[in-house]
Amino acid sequence: MHDRHKGWSALFAEKSATLSNYFLRRVSHRWDAQDLVQEVYLRLLRIEPSDAANIRNPEAYLFTVAANLVKEHAVMRQQLPLGSDGLEEVLEQWSTPCEAAAGVDRELRRQRLGTLIKKLSPKCRAVLVMHYRDELSYREIAEKLAISPNMVKKYIVKGLAACRQRMADYE
Amino acid sequence: MNKPGNFETRRRARRITEQAAAWYLEQQDNPSQRQQAAFLTWLRASPAHVAEYLAIAQMHGDMKAAAAIDTMSMMELAEQVRRETPVVAFPRVMPQAPDNKQAAGSRRYTVWRFAAAAALIVLGLFGAWRLWNPAEGAVQQRYATGQGDVREVNLPDGSLVHLAQNSVIDVHFDALARRIDVVRGNALFDVGKDPKRPMFVGVGGHVLQDIGTVFDVQRGADGDTLTVISGRVRVWKASDVWIGKIRAYVGDSQTSSDAVADLVAGQELRLSAAGTTGSIRAATIAKATEWMPTDIRFQHETIGQVARRFNAYTTTPLVIEDPQLAGLRISGVFHADNPESFVAYLATFPGVSVVRDRDRVRIVAASEVGRTAHR
Repeated sequence: MHDRHKGWSALFAEKSATLSNYFLRRVSHRWDAQDLVQEVYLRLLRIEPSDAANIRNPEAYLFTVAANLVKEHAVMRQQLPLGSDGLEEVLEQWSTPCEAAAGVDRELRRQRLGTLIKKLSPKCRAVLVMHYRDELSYREIAEKLAISPNMVKKYIVKGLAACRQRMADYE
Repeated sequence: MNKPGNFETRRRARRITEQAAAWYLEQQDNPSQRQQAAFLTWLRASPAHVAEYLAIAQMHGDMKAAAAIDTMSMMELAEQVRRETPVVAFPRVMPQAPDNKQAAGSRRYTVWRFAAAAALIVLGLFGAWRLWNPAEGAVQQRYATGQGDVREVNLPDGSLVHLAQNSVIDVHFDALARRIDVVRGNALFDVGKDPKRPMFVGVGGHVLQDIGTVFDVQRGADGDTLTVISGRVRVWKASDVWIGKIRAYVGDSQTSSDAVADLVAGQELRLSAAGTTGSIRAATIAKATEWMPTDIRFQHETIGQVARRFNAYTTTPLVIEDPQLAGLRISGVFHADNPESFVAYLATFPGVSVVRDRDRVRIVAASEVGRTAHR
């Protein structure tokens, strides 16, 4: 089961754009996304303390719960053939009919995000670009900017948060 | 979604977003079981946490593509950061900036600094060195190494500092000067050239002024040792250097009589904590650099960078004058105590010549040698 969590977690990271497209497209839709979060949250709350200790990878657990809920939801609405399994298929089902639109959304989102990055403070911008575009480690960035690796991490967090907040303004 | 009017709500939302981003990065760094438990607790604390975490995960998928849109080079980005870094707030001792209408920007700052320096003379505050101490918040960056840890630090001015284990240096650069304090341990400096901003290295009661140099500083309970590997270093008493700087501002040039000592390549000097110095003696470079790695390993580094790493070990530094060769990327391992093998390797490149001067080894394009000879 643990391996499967891991697999889903990786898949989620890779396909998260598609997953979110699923959420967004179904907004009347926003209700669904919020319902989903509520439901994920309730399931997290229902974990017994004794079981909580056994969850070695909460992130994978979270993604798995989310994927399962998406699937259950779809089944309930009879929009997905019964018996399908796993996040991949869920995503496959939901992204295929509208692949072209999904591509446009993604492109637009990336353009916006790119513009936001350029508007960040010089430090946040530098660490984000060096980390994501140039794939430098915290340490390598630290040396280039003459700050500590810890500060690099802090600036990445700050930069990501600023981007996320401003992206939310678009929603 | 975000009501601009509600500042408190926005602030709280921002904090959750930052926590989510921090947890997301933490997940990529092999979190410990304890961190994982804390993460689960955080998730369970609020549905807003769950929502935000999923949102960050989703945005993260777009980051690489979005960052790739930025066309600024890494150098430009770093330069922008450097320019943004606030200069050392020396004028703290000044009551007010002189009102000088034509002085704008950096010029105004120069005036401030001069006035501040002058004020220091008047007040007789020759312990000015202290004003720049970490306690005053003037430190821009501290680098430290732990037990068994040898580290190379590339500074934005092009200086390369090797740190031995258990060493600490404080680096502060501003528009007018570069300063590094060796707080503890052992550091070897290969100072980048910047004629506009002299480099001063603080060692207890002394200040070293670099004149295009590689040198080693070793701090110890029974005194400090300075070893010059190549180039020249001028040693000042900590308080004197300020007099010298102030004179320079006034237009009076520093005279060597103010300096405690001048050292050249291959020389060594003992410095006591009280600010006195021993006599200059011949150094054993191998001994001074014995803490340095015995191998020079490099992967996909430019020949110019690799040459500089060798220069930490030799009194006759390598200077790569052929820009094309200097920019070439190579990978390999050399014995650090044998720069000759690296020179021999460089000589194998087509169109490259080795010129041996008294105090350095120049690697030049062969065509350059020909041209010089014909002239």
